Amino acid sequence: MAAERELQIAPLVQESLVHNTRTLNNLHSLTASLLGVAAGILGLESLAGFAFYISFSLLAAVLFYVLRVAPSSLPAGKSLGDTSRYFRRGGGFEFWTGGLMGGLAGFVLTWTLFYGLVRA
Amino acid sequence: MTLLSKTFTVFGSILLAHACYSAREHTALQSPRVVTAAALSSSPAAGSVSLPVDIIIETIVSTVLIITGLVLGTKPLRPLEWRVWAGKIEREGAEGFTDGSGKVDRDYVGNPFSVLESRPNFVDIRRQRREFAEWSRQKEKFLQQGQ
Repeated sequence: MAAERELQIAPLVQESLVHNTRTLNNLHSLTASLLGVAAGILGLESLAGFAFYISFSLLAAVLFYVLRVAPSSLPAGKSLGDTSRYFRRGGGFEFWTGGLMGGLAGFVLTWTLFYGLVRA
Repeated sequence: MTLLSKTFTVFGSILLAHACYSAREHTALQSPRVVTAAALSSSPAAGSVSLPVDIIIETIVSTVLIITGLVLGTKPLRPLEWRVWAGKIEREGAEGFTDGSGKVDRDYVGNPFSVLESRPNFVDIRRQRREFAEWSRQKEKFLQQGQ
């Protein structure tokens, strides 16, 4: 009930939410393919490759926050790490790790391709 | 995409291609020697070929560069709360909703209340008709004087 009332007092723009989520998803799928290339060149295997993917995906999310979200959300009075100016309130986990699952297939595809290219 | 993001992405891609080529050459040149060394010493650890440190550094630096370029090339985000979004439209207009290269987004709708702010239903059509009749009468008189 409280959340519903909150939404009635401060309504959200659905088009903006769709636009922002799509921007973030595009970035994550591009990044995942790129990380697959890097992991294949480095010759990572099994868990090391997935650890590489997770850590660099998080790095991409941090860069996105620093370069895109923070410059306008910090002056607006949001605290550090708060993405509620552009993304759903309480969706912090979704912001930081939302691209991991979506990009995994692309990552594995280019990872195996470049591993085979470099090492075969 | 702005110039900065393009520069980052292109430079990173060149570095990444170079790292890929170097890794390929390294494994191609290294594998026969490792096989003979492993056969001589018969130790299991000698079988794995490890990359030189400079290729590893080059790969990671190029990856970070390309990611930075991609992040800089993303479209600017739009405020989620209605009041912040509407305030941005009022203050900046269409200029606030451009992509990286300065073109206005195709799905920019502008002021959501513009329908209410210019209400064609409330146009005084009788007055406009009177004004038009006046104008056309004057025009006629002017033309007759000209002849």
